[in-house]
Amino acid sequence: MSSNKVLNIDGERISGQDVRNQNVTAVAAISNIVKTSLGPIGLDKMLVDNIGDVTITNDGATILKLLEVEHPAAKVLVQLADLQDQEVGDGTTSVVILAAELLKRANELVQRKIHPTVIISGYRIACTEAIKYINDCLSVKVETLPKDYIINIARTSMSSKIIGDDSEFFSKMVVEAMNRVKTIDYKGDVKYPINAVNILKAHGKSAKESVLVEGYALNCTVASEGMPKKITNAKIAFLDFNLQKTKMKLGQKVVVTNVNDLEAIRDRENDIVKERIQLILASGANVILTTKGIDDLCLKYFVEAGAMAVRRCKKEDLKRIAKACGGSVHVTLSNLEGEESFDPTTLGTCEEVVQERIADDELILVKNSNKKSASIILRGAGSVMLDEMERSIHDSLCIVKRTLESGSIVPGGGAVESGLSIYLDNFAATMGSRKQLAISEFAESLLIIPKQLAVNAALDATDLVAKLRSYHHVAQTDQTKKSYSYSGLDLYNGKVKNNIEAGVLEPSIAKIKCIKFATEAAITILRIDDMITLNPKEQQQDDGHGH
Amino acid sequence: MATTVKSRSDFSEREKEKDIRTSNIVAARSVADAIRTSLGPKGMDKMISSPTGEVIISNDGATILQKLELRHPAARMLAELAKAQDIEAGDGTTSVCVIAGALLGAVSTLMSKGIHPSIISEAFHQALQESLKVLVNMSVPVSLSDRQSLIKSATTSLNSKVVSQYTNLASISVDAVLSVINVAQNPDNVNLKDIKIIKKLGGTIDDTELVHGLVFDQNASHTAGGPTRIQNAKIGLIQFCLSAPKPYMDNNIVVSDYTKMDKVIKEEPKLILEMCRKIQKSGCNVLLVQKSILRDAVNELSLSYLAKLKILVIRDIEREDIEFICTTIGCTPIANIDAMTPEKLGKADLVEEVSTTDGKIVKITGIPNPGKTVTILARGSNKLVLDEAERSIHDALCVIRSLVKKKYLIAGGGAPEIEVSQQVTEFSKTLSGVPSVCIRAYAEALEIIPYTLAENAGLHPISIVTELRNKHAQGEKNAGINVRKGAITDILQENVVQPLLVSTSALTLATETVIMLLKIDDIATSR
Repeated sequence: MSSNKVLNIDGERISGQDVRNQNVTAVAAISNIVKTSLGPIGLDKMLVDNIGDVTITNDGATILKLLEVEHPAAKVLVQLADLQDQEVGDGTTSVVILAAELLKRANELVQRKIHPTVIISGYRIACTEAIKYINDCLSVKVETLPKDYIINIARTSMSSKIIGDDSEFFSKMVVEAMNRVKTIDYKGDVKYPINAVNILKAHGKSAKESVLVEGYALNCTVASEGMPKKITNAKIAFLDFNLQKTKMKLGQKVVVTNVNDLEAIRDRENDIVKERIQLILASGANVILTTKGIDDLCLKYFVEAGAMAVRRCKKEDLKRIAKACGGSVHVTLSNLEGEESFDPTTLGTCEEVVQERIADDELILVKNSNKKSASIILRGAGSVMLDEMERSIHDSLCIVKRTLESGSIVPGGGAVESGLSIYLDNFAATMGSRKQLAISEFAESLLIIPKQLAVNAALDATDLVAKLRSYHHVAQTDQTKKSYSYSGLDLYNGKVKNNIEAGVLEPSIAKIKCIKFATEAAITILRIDDMITLNPKEQQQDDGHGH
Repeated sequence: MATTVKSRSDFSEREKEKDIRTSNIVAARSVADAIRTSLGPKGMDKMISSPTGEVIISNDGATILQKLELRHPAARMLAELAKAQDIEAGDGTTSVCVIAGALLGAVSTLMSKGIHPSIISEAFHQALQESLKVLVNMSVPVSLSDRQSLIKSATTSLNSKVVSQYTNLASISVDAVLSVINVAQNPDNVNLKDIKIIKKLGGTIDDTELVHGLVFDQNASHTAGGPTRIQNAKIGLIQFCLSAPKPYMDNNIVVSDYTKMDKVIKEEPKLILEMCRKIQKSGCNVLLVQKSILRDAVNELSLSYLAKLKILVIRDIEREDIEFICTTIGCTPIANIDAMTPEKLGKADLVEEVSTTDGKIVKITGIPNPGKTVTILARGSNKLVLDEAERSIHDALCVIRSLVKKKYLIAGGGAPEIEVSQQVTEFSKTLSGVPSVCIRAYAEALEIIPYTLAENAGLHPISIVTELRNKHAQGEKNAGINVRKGAITDILQENVVQPLLVSTSALTLATETVIMLLKIDDIATSR
């Protein structure tokens, strides 16, 4: 390239149409990878990384994250999927496909001599209009729906996943888990913390034998075989420090001058920790959970007292159990008088703590029927399948959370996209400038979602999408047939149906964010007309002088 | 360079000088050409992937040139030029390079006519003085209380950026600058360091907000389950450590008797408790702890005491932030526990931890005497957009600052450049001789700005520029390119305005750089 010779930089420079083509190709390649996994009849991908670890997944964000994409424009798309994953939790595949389609069509417009900035402003207008239309016309308030809508939402989100066949079973489980962890913060806002639902995986049995535990499942075992495996009416102490023989801090030394003193010092070492344990036990605690270790000596005291002690719990787990049982975690035993004490009010209570054997492993279940905690123990044929199940459950949890928090939903199955496409097409006709073209291309791009859904289901995409569009056209022109705007695809029967009635639902917020993020990403890439890649600097030779 | 060596042996010194100048001019012009496409509201972005693989997308001339790592010394001067404009005015970094490139183009034509560089540079200097006069005559005074005009100029600066569709950024920038002006002491300048920009991923740029208070990037300490929300906060900023003391020298405590072991072990909690009590006694309920590398600034023990005393703790405050924090909340840093007195504490209505998708942040709001500092919490959907948003906010802030420095506005959209070009051409007609030719060439070179604006907007540059000339010749001083409508209109009515300082500084810096490049007649590479 002559330009970088003149510019005299250490690298490569591509500009103008070349860079746009390159970006669009890179983005299209990414979208091609994930697009076959869209929708209920989408298929999974198997990814093998460089050390041979296998992941089988259907989740766009996970696929892209594992791909280790190099091209900078494609990286924008990977970030996009990641963002959708964080903000919504589902729809990661759709967002990537949509962004790639928007770019592809924009590039075609540029080749037809329309300036990119015109396309950008057209896309922006289209995006705002689309969101307005979703809010005004397509979304449905959850209050107007039958009670089981939330189960339908969960079912829609998992329909594309490995657990799709058992969606009935899992959607109930997800919704129940979410309802258990509902919290209300000081402002009176209702929150559904996803992290409060603990998901554990255990090999063996079939997926349908997964269970929802009313309480918290801990992936640990009791510290000593001599301890009871089951304690009812448990009082739990939560500790975040070691229970072991006292050690002197660095720089503190005990000098022994007399052999007899040795014994006394050893005793004292033991006594200090013994006193602590007795403080804890005296408060009435019969279950002790700690994030750190408990040494053999200390175990003895617990065994003698008939208490259950569990060491090396995860800190997050401990915090959540403490929250659920109404206790609090102790970092030290020191109190404000400078002495050591253990306040019985910081103990958590629950009905039963029991160690159970599931598959090969033993788990500790903190059972608690009325308090705010839930755990799901997944069962499955192998670790790869379990991982994918976990991701699917996580996606569904996110979707349920968004719906419960935002309170409005839209029909799924390509209904929103085709409705918007008709609306934007009509809207484009009202614009008397070049932006018209950009807006109608935007409208056209949205159709990629129903098209791809149909293609993945091995149906005639052209035919079905045309039918779908005609329904939406009627809905928008004929006031009496408003309910047609909820028409979406029924991929199992290859027909168009009312997806609100059929229970194929998605939260509106997911759709809105999907369109917003896809547009923003497309614009970011579209604005680039020059790409400069600087060569990596050569590693400085180590001159052997050290630093 | 083979030719240089050859000419040296030929003793044809003039040839060599010419070569050096040409090579410098070519290098510098190619830089200007490279960033030309990002000029103006319809300019495009550049994607640069750095040697380490980091990718940035930007439209800001100074940022692009800085990341390019140019090798040619003359090209580097242009990068420096953009940086200088960035420091001086904060905006117009692309324009300054484009102008310099055009001037260099004029220079090479003039030199090919056999005009000596020193004459050219003298004439350019004269032309610059004349241009500045024209610019000042064109400008309209603005008062800082005229918020609308300020927002207009901030909007003009943001127009070229990826964030341009978000109208909120302009008003945020204006409010931010206006609230930190110290009217009593220094009404003609603003310290942009008093405006802190904090970036957080997640949300869209619409969610960017101006906080009259403080925002901390880190979360409140959760280790011991302390509070995360405090109303009527009294904030203490400590620079000492709440942990067991550690002398500089190696030390050993020798315990000879087992009964004394207890005493040694109990000593640490006692000491820390005493410190925590003192903190509580001063009335402090929010504690900011400066980062310490020598030892733990806080340890689990002290955190648990503080949590029990219902004191919110924010750890790892950077040393360089201390001054900013102090001016904001009006506290004094406390270097020793004995100096912990109530009057050294800052006050705020609310200190609250807020969770975002990108981790938690702590917000301090409701500060009794606001106006000394503000924080802009920038949000964006991906890292690239967020970074660009930060750069854009910085540009907008600089534009407002330029208005504070020099309270005059000037039209945008290529209007000033065309006006200067015409007036300076008129002026050249009053002179005679070689300088007249040079000044005329200078005037023509300035037309590059409207030309490029039109080109980037997909308009026909020649017809636009000639129409523009025509309008200006008829006395319509403020006629400029309306990029949105693709036509020539009175640009002042379209609210496309920029600070006078940006234009004058761009012209001055560009001209001076060109003159400097002209004066070089030899490059010696030393090893």
